[in-house]
Amino acid sequence: MNNVKVDALVIGGGIAGMQAALDLGDQGYQVALVEKEPSIGGKMITLSKVFPTLDCCSCITTPKMSAVAHHPNIQMFTYCEVESVDQQENGFDVSVLQKPRYVNADTCTGCRLCEYACPITVPSSFDRGLGSYRTARVPFSTAVPQIAVLDIENCILCGKCEKVCPVGAIDFTQQPETFSIDTTSIVLATGFELTDLDAKNEYGAGELPNVIDPLMMERFLAPTGPYGRVLRPGDGMEPMTIAYVQCAGSRDETLGIEYCSRTCCMYAIKQSMLISGALPLAEVTIYYMDIRTFGKGYEQFYQNAKAMGVEFVRGKVAKITEDENHNPVVRVERTEEGDVVERTFDLVVLSLGMVAGDPLSKFGLTPAEDGYIKIPSVNASPCETRRPGIFVTGTAGGPMDIVDSIVTASAAASAASAYIRSKTQVGIEEREVAHV
Amino acid sequence: MTATRVDPELLSELKEYGDGQVETCFNCGNCTAICPFTSAEYPFPRNMIRLVQIGGAEKLKQSIDPWLCYYCGDCSQTCPRGAEPGEVMMSLRRWLTAQYDFTGLAKKFYTSKVWEIGAMVVVGVLVVVIALLLSGPVVTDQVELNTFAPVEIVHVADWIMAGMLVFFIAINVFRMWKYIMVDGMDRKVPFSLYITEAWQIVLHLFTQKRWAQCEEDKEKKNWNWIAHLLMVSGYGLMLVIIIFFLKWFQTDEIYPVWHPQRWLGYYATIVLIFGAGRSIIGRIKKNVQMHRFSHASDWIFPVLLLLVALTGIMMHTTRYLGLPLVTYYTYIIHLAFVAPMLILEVPFGKWAHLYYRPLAIYFEQVRAKAKAMPVAETQLASAD
Repeated sequence: MNNVKVDALVIGGGIAGMQAALDLGDQGYQVALVEKEPSIGGKMITLSKVFPTLDCCSCITTPKMSAVAHHPNIQMFTYCEVESVDQQENGFDVSVLQKPRYVNADTCTGCRLCEYACPITVPSSFDRGLGSYRTARVPFSTAVPQIAVLDIENCILCGKCEKVCPVGAIDFTQQPETFSIDTTSIVLATGFELTDLDAKNEYGAGELPNVIDPLMMERFLAPTGPYGRVLRPGDGMEPMTIAYVQCAGSRDETLGIEYCSRTCCMYAIKQSMLISGALPLAEVTIYYMDIRTFGKGYEQFYQNAKAMGVEFVRGKVAKITEDENHNPVVRVERTEEGDVVERTFDLVVLSLGMVAGDPLSKFGLTPAEDGYIKIPSVNASPCETRRPGIFVTGTAGGPMDIVDSIVTASAAASAASAYIRSKTQVGIEEREVAHV
Repeated sequence: MTATRVDPELLSELKEYGDGQVETCFNCGNCTAICPFTSAEYPFPRNMIRLVQIGGAEKLKQSIDPWLCYYCGDCSQTCPRGAEPGEVMMSLRRWLTAQYDFTGLAKKFYTSKVWEIGAMVVVGVLVVVIALLLSGPVVTDQVELNTFAPVEIVHVADWIMAGMLVFFIAINVFRMWKYIMVDGMDRKVPFSLYITEAWQIVLHLFTQKRWAQCEEDKEKKNWNWIAHLLMVSGYGLMLVIIIFFLKWFQTDEIYPVWHPQRWLGYYATIVLIFGAGRSIIGRIKKNVQMHRFSHASDWIFPVLLLLVALTGIMMHTTRYLGLPLVTYYTYIIHLAFVAPMLILEVPFGKWAHLYYRPLAIYFEQVRAKAKAMPVAETQLASAD
């Protein structure tokens, strides 16, 4: 593969990475965007609605995905992973591994005939294991790029996809390829991972079928979700009583995560509202230690949920067990009443926290105590890392919600832009400005 | 309603009694919900931690809750703030022991190692001096312990010691009763309830059966409880023998091996060494929650027990080996360990839990029964 030369390399194609790439591209810089999954979109494309406006997530994310794909100044590299970052005199030499799709990306039209022909069905990681997809597939309906990928781990090499492909794009002989990107600056948008569902033994250690994580609930609530409605995974029953366990993965020394993940209060409240729409008769109870609704319009959002009848109970859930019908049983001290209660629910959602996504060593960066990229002066320059020319945005730098991710994406793009100019002495006027 | 007095020094005061991190607690209630012993009436440990945070010393003094905790450590293990609720409860038991004690010695001992160890040494030296002053002729041809230390005199000393213990304990228990059952109650408890529930003291003194309900201990086949129970049976047996049957026990006549005098003694010694040794090893290894933090008093008590048992064995051995002088001196050393352990640890030290715990459970039961009675009846009871 040919070497690529750009002004900025954005690593991570979630909402923060896409926004940073778009902001830089719009300023006329040449941008490369590297995404480890077969499609850009990140976690946000899997979500249902955004808080506090309850706008549709897809309606915000898909236009940005398309904009990235069609931007004349942005080159998109999906299904690629950064292997190493070497400091050069005036920038970085980044080695990138292109993972084999076993599909020729240049000829594939995204017609999905391979997907329809493929006989092997596996749990869908896009639907967090709740739904399923084929081994040969376009990752999801709004994936960008619309190029099939063949999951060779589960493939039985039956060759049906190869037979039906009208353009002969299936290629079982593809090998991983390494190429390098020469760039002046880097924007890290590597995102977050949820804390583990099985981290706490007191919460059933991931063994309870009707105790789920919040991204699973997002899939239940999303219009593109696997069932188009909310049901519980244990037996497919429609849950009539649902509990949210706040701080299930944050503010907990026993997990080594003492920080607040900042999003859980709001997503739990948002989901409780959406559940009220999806299951009008369902009762939702949110167990919390503190409700932290600090953003613009957030407190009103919380008050609205209360007014809608969502029950808020102060107390950290100490234990979740289950009865003989796999109904989760929540044990908690209601600290405002001062009594310990056990209550049975149909479904429990653990409001898990955020931890840093990608390992940082390959970027030559060391994590801060919280595991996220260290930002030496977070107040003065919130997007600068310890290495000049490498900037950070979104949840790669610490837990934050979509609003803040987009804000820091534009901030990182701006900081990167200034840096590129100082290094290359190239101003926007000397360049061909893309009109998009 | 009476006003509640707030003690702003309470939090820093409690620091001297243990390693709880009360100030980090944000009252999430995890500890109380995870605790296998918490109840509607006694929702601990958080209620206790809250009282420490707000300086509610008066209310704490009236609380039974710390005595209902057995430090299984589930709360400490799962606390999201590392506040060590189990250790706070432990500190509160020490603090309460100091509050019940009218002499102020318990407070001195718990807050100062120098005081506790110093007092032990003083009593030990006093015992040695008295023993040497009162001791009879030293027979070196053969072991004649009862000539050196006539059992009648030792027995009288035992009774004096027992009398002192009863005196201190009675007053301290009276104070405990007053705090919990008078100051801490909104109604008078009919006297008859104290009589009908008295069996609870005996039951819990001899079985500690509540401890056996600890989830954490259940998982380990109740070994903590069993080891403790064995240790209790050991010193209980020794106490009974020393106070009531010393003449039969301290004798120069050598009984055959099958004789109860011998195997009762052996049993008591073995379980004491086992129990105390297990506790010491646990505290060194810190392998269970309740042994992670060790206050000075947690070391002194099992070490003394161990030393008493070891010097006892040594004496027994030297006597059988026919070493008179060694036996006599070991005997005095043995006394120098026994006396401070009984005189100081039982009324003012860690050992006080031997009666405070069963009494607390007894008070809890009496309280519950009294509260279940119609108000009129308890008021009638208060009239006579």
